[in-house]
Amino acid sequence: MIKRVEINYRGIFQKTLAKKIGGDIVMVASRMGQVGFSNGRYSDSPERNGIPCKYFAFVSPDLSEEELEAECGAKLDIDEANISVVLDDTMVKGVEPWGWHGIRPINEKVVEGGYLLVVSRKQPEELLQWIGRKPYDYHLAILPGDASFAGLWVYKDDLTHERVLGAIAALDPSLISLEAVEAYLRDKMHEPARAEAARQAHDEVRQRVRVVKAGEGRRWPYAIPELPKWNEFAEGVVVRAVPRHFEIGPRGQSRNEQFKRFTTRTQRPVVRFDLCTKCMLCWYDCPDECFDPTPDGLFDVNYEYCVGCGRCAQVCPVKECIVMVDELRFEDNSSPWEFYRRDPQGYIRWAEEKKGNERIVYPFVTGTGVATVPGEHVPEGQKTVVKKQDKLEVSL
Amino acid sequence: MTLTQPAPVYVREDLLTGCQAVAHGVRLADVDVVSAYPIRPYTEVMDALSKMIADGELDAEYIIADSEHSQFEIVKHASSVGARAFAGSSGTGWMYGFEALVVTATDRLPVLFLVGNRALDDPGAFGVEHNDALALRDMGWLLFWVTTPQEALEHVLIGYRIAEDPRVRMPVALAMDGAFLTHSQHLVRIPSPEAVRRFLPPYDLGDRRLHPDNPISIAPQANEDWVMELRRQNWEAARRARQVITQAYEEFRAIFGDRYTPPYYFDEFLTEDAEVVLIGLGTVASPGRTAARRLRQQGHKVGYVNLRWFRPFPTVELRECLRRFKAVGVIDRDFAHGSPDDGGALLHEIRSCLYPARERPAIVNFISGLGGRDISIADCIRMFELTERAAREEALDGFVTWIGVRE
Repeated sequence: MIKRVEINYRGIFQKTLAKKIGGDIVMVASRMGQVGFSNGRYSDSPERNGIPCKYFAFVSPDLSEEELEAECGAKLDIDEANISVVLDDTMVKGVEPWGWHGIRPINEKVVEGGYLLVVSRKQPEELLQWIGRKPYDYHLAILPGDASFAGLWVYKDDLTHERVLGAIAALDPSLISLEAVEAYLRDKMHEPARAEAARQAHDEVRQRVRVVKAGEGRRWPYAIPELPKWNEFAEGVVVRAVPRHFEIGPRGQSRNEQFKRFTTRTQRPVVRFDLCTKCMLCWYDCPDECFDPTPDGLFDVNYEYCVGCGRCAQVCPVKECIVMVDELRFEDNSSPWEFYRRDPQGYIRWAEEKKGNERIVYPFVTGTGVATVPGEHVPEGQKTVVKKQDKLEVSL
Repeated sequence: MTLTQPAPVYVREDLLTGCQAVAHGVRLADVDVVSAYPIRPYTEVMDALSKMIADGELDAEYIIADSEHSQFEIVKHASSVGARAFAGSSGTGWMYGFEALVVTATDRLPVLFLVGNRALDDPGAFGVEHNDALALRDMGWLLFWVTTPQEALEHVLIGYRIAEDPRVRMPVALAMDGAFLTHSQHLVRIPSPEAVRRFLPPYDLGDRRLHPDNPISIAPQANEDWVMELRRQNWEAARRARQVITQAYEEFRAIFGDRYTPPYYFDEFLTEDAEVVLIGLGTVASPGRTAARRLRQQGHKVGYVNLRWFRPFPTVELRECLRRFKAVGVIDRDFAHGSPDDGGALLHEIRSCLYPARERPAIVNFISGLGGRDISIADCIRMFELTERAAREEALDGFVTWIGVRE
């Protein structure tokens, strides 16, 4: 018997976290007399900020390590997972790894009766509106908490690692038992708080497991790419360019239909077009060229291609004009400028409702973690220029 | 009479990737000079070593080079002044340093290099292919593959032991499959420094050591009056290496136990009464052996040979081994375009090795797992089936089949 755990994580910020969880699943399982090993999906490019990536742990109570390796080791991805861990709940909208895999449902690998374990403050129903349907029953479990985002190469030691181990023990004690997790954490770290965090998470998750019925969830809207045969593409490593096309207006620039990248996003920029001074800095600075010029001199955002890096919000010189907002508050990737043109007051109300009262700040470089600061609801047209400090983080 | 318990040879168990296991081998070998330049999948070993040095676990000079060429030159020079030296690379980075790799061999400097096997760009790809390491095959290097992190750690020690032996003094390349081994975390038993000291003597280049007290020149321009004789010397060293390899493994067994058994150059699995075997380099051994075990349960007389040493090639031992079978399937995780029968590099070595045998098995070749494509148990079962057909049908002898390509 083989137990497969996949850990879906956000590139770079959660890379070390995912590796620690994968490795410690093996260490705990081996203390219970099982064999195991752990690796990452090598075709990922986890140095890219926010890109969805995977880490794996494989455990067996009865196979030899070599047989386990033969079944699971020399593979780029797994065919099925007993438990799929999701370290950031915005990934429930789908995951598109680096190139050519297409946008995949987050529960794609979960087996019948298996578990999707999501770190989230949302209710199961809120998450299920995004998650693809399965032809069989499985479970959705929620570990209450915020996504743990650390710095570029930094591990943010906020007990998420211990809590996920405790949560997995709640879902499948034969894979790793809570007692073994606690004993391992006590032996390894010599800090009682770590084992306590695991136990607490174990107890919390046991209250938050919900059966997802066959057919429940979203009809998956994205096609899975079929890769061409060896004699079906150009020789000489030649890749045809996207045909050049440009016109003023939403979606007026030609872009690569095969790699949209928006599943990299944890937050999206919400633009108050009524506050825009047409300075063009967002359009100029966007590293993914997501802003489309429009006939009225404003810049539409193409959310299909925005990775949510936050650069536009950083450079925008007007108070509350571009603000980064939790991706899960949004239904689709439709054009905000078209909404604004149709119904300016309605759009401003909608934008302010989405923004809410708090502004989220992720100091990515130091990894000190998510912080919230109070926001402000600026009246229509009241343009206040702010001098923003051009630095990537706040100290807290 | 005093009864003293010998110190345990293994002190602890840790979860390590292949690269981290190599770093532990380098730490235990008490290497003096490390030179580093990043390229995936090799990079993880330089990360692990820099951490060990920062944590005070390893006392070594750590020199970041400006390219692989400089990186390899630095360790070559370090080795010539008597420092035990380590470097490594992958794929195109390895190829960029090739001029330095060649002179390290002709100067007979026993440096150990890690080759984290990676596809040669283009197209840019991180996954395993063996052409990077195989490019060494005619250059006077020792070259072997390992299949687990445990073997990786131990073969750093075995590698230095053989390379630095005064009868050999050749550089050694430890090759391991990128991703599937370099980046896979497994439980590894870590030997004690005392046990390692018993196995691996200090590096001593003798009167070839470059030092003010021992004034010498290394590698002046020599031209046609000298080159052929020097090549003949290098050949002799490669011949002597064969005896030293056997001796080193025997010494290793005496201290660390029987993980490796004669003839050491390769491992045989379920071959005793086998009629058909597959042979390959690297991690394909796990699906290969698992496929053999499953086919045995259905009554097929199949086995697997895991070839560890590629240079020196175990000519006599492998000829004796493979001539017993009706058919041999050679798995190449490499390409040799335009070569005889358009087969892979390992095919040519094995066919050449078997040619002098009076009765030869049929030989078929599989090109598989290129650029990090996975080789599954089902793929290996298919290779066994094709090799079994070759044992029955004359016409299939010499066939080259691509396994796992989209067609």
